[in-house]
Amino acid sequence: MNHVPTSEEFDVLLLSLRVAAVGTVIGLPIGLLIAWTLAKTSMPGKVLLDTLVSFPLVLPPVVTGYALLLLLGRNGPLGGLQDDLGIEILFTWFAAALAAGLVSLPLMVRSMEVAMGAVDPRLELAARSLGASRWKVFATVTVPLAFRGILAGVVLAFARGMGEFGATIIVAGNIPGHTQTLPLAIFTNLQVGDDDAAVRFIVFSLAVALAALLAHRWMLKRAVV
Amino acid sequence: MGEAFLNLQFRKSYPDFTLELDVLLSAGITAIFGPSGSGKTTTLNCIAGITKPDSGSVELWGRRLYSSGSRFRGINRPPEKRRVGYVFQDGLLFPHLRVRENILYGYHQTPKNRRHLQPNKLVEMLELEPLLQRMPSTLSGGERQRVALARAMAASPEILLLDEPLASLDMPFRGRILRHLKAIHHDTGIPMVYVSHTLSEVMVLAQQALVLSNGKQVALDTPNKVLHQTPVLPLVDPAHLETLLEGRVVAHHPTSGTTEAVFGSFTLWLPTVEREVGDPITVSLAASDVMVAAEAPTGLSARNVLKATVLALDRVGDMVMVTADAGSPILVEVTPEASSSLELQPGSEVYLVLKASSIVVLG
Repeated sequence: MNHVPTSEEFDVLLLSLRVAAVGTVIGLPIGLLIAWTLAKTSMPGKVLLDTLVSFPLVLPPVVTGYALLLLLGRNGPLGGLQDDLGIEILFTWFAAALAAGLVSLPLMVRSMEVAMGAVDPRLELAARSLGASRWKVFATVTVPLAFRGILAGVVLAFARGMGEFGATIIVAGNIPGHTQTLPLAIFTNLQVGDDDAAVRFIVFSLAVALAALLAHRWMLKRAVV
Repeated sequence: MGEAFLNLQFRKSYPDFTLELDVLLSAGITAIFGPSGSGKTTTLNCIAGITKPDSGSVELWGRRLYSSGSRFRGINRPPEKRRVGYVFQDGLLFPHLRVRENILYGYHQTPKNRRHLQPNKLVEMLELEPLLQRMPSTLSGGERQRVALARAMAASPEILLLDEPLASLDMPFRGRILRHLKAIHHDTGIPMVYVSHTLSEVMVLAQQALVLSNGKQVALDTPNKVLHQTPVLPLVDPAHLETLLEGRVVAHHPTSGTTEAVFGSFTLWLPTVEREVGDPITVSLAASDVMVAAEAPTGLSARNVLKATVLALDRVGDMVMVTADAGSPILVEVTPEASSSLELQPGSEVYLVLKASSIVVLG
């Protein structure tokens, strides 16, 4: 059994890291905004927003991927925009990143919502009585005080993005060297019977997952102090 | 007393409680006094924009902060647009910022042309220089309240609201903060609305007292008039009945282990205080520690005997609260039996006896 990964196999790891990282970065502002809305406002449509953002957590990822496919497709709402810009997102690594971001969004939002909800609202009122706008209070009081929890949410979302399979294969396919991320590579190698390669990819996955979980644990532990 | 500056005319209902106010407050220090649950904090929150009244209006220096409005759409200025400073009961300093950054927080939000107060000046007045680099979690209660005060003032507010800022402090710190509050008011002229359930604080600090009971206004007048002309004492928690006196150290008597301090027209001997002659001093006399005699007592170990005139007698719980004027009003708690055997009534001449050791020096 050969334990040494090839450079192509390292590229799969790097691609996966890039896909998960970009997906998380795109999800971050959206997640912060949704989490803040859920934790700190009494907006009428909150239940609806709460339900909507939870969907990717409970739906089969393939269904989430199909929704994203319809959204990004030539005839979808964002199809025209891509034509205008002369770009094509579907079946690129960027589509895989969007899929990873969308599927991991509920995890990110939950973690951030809990962290922001734990910030004493009276501190935020104190900041507003000192002349700070809601946005300023968010940036200077809520986020810094919820920082560890927010970071934990980011790490969790990143780890979930690394493992994304169902939605990715729908919107990005399984193109080696372009959109084939770790889970897709594991699946493909098991299908074709190259168990050694599959195991090497599994080791990559385990290493990343372990690192993420340890980081997450450390952040939550420190967040309580 | 200053001109009228704050017009409160509103109503706020909760399932078990309704606050209804129609008052015009004068610039100066106003104390809002009343038992727990009388609507004191709700009043402050409605001024600050933290709580929205159901109807009515709130006007600060003629500027409308809230109006339910009938003809036009209602106005409800957000807290950050009200220029209302707020010192909360427990300070509420930002735990992630150093003292210096806490103080500058509101200052930085304030437009340059509206910055009347320099943070450096506040730091100096409140003696905060040694604390500037500290984190709030390392401060004592009194230090926290001083920082909270500086933070609120650095935003150059048009009014300062204080919600029982002394409630969580140990005795020795209370007098110090009271003196700082008075100094800040004196130096800046900023009107203050001060919530308290401690009568002595109201008496020593405020020029005007608004008494609330169960969401209704019971009285609005000078603290002395409020105390003597309205049934205020029954609203007081007997445990909080004390008299605060402000005076000056005049001499130390090392042989007898006492310090002599003058409070207006009378002198008291206190247990030795580490204070320079001429320094201001605030002391507290618990109402239950003051004794009353009908005639000038002789052969007594207590040093402090004050001649006084009974101003009023009020029933508080099982006891009788005597307000006696010894140059300034002093509260004395006696049993109903003592009150009748001494034939106490308004106008009676009495002697108040105080043991030096029962006088608590606050600051």
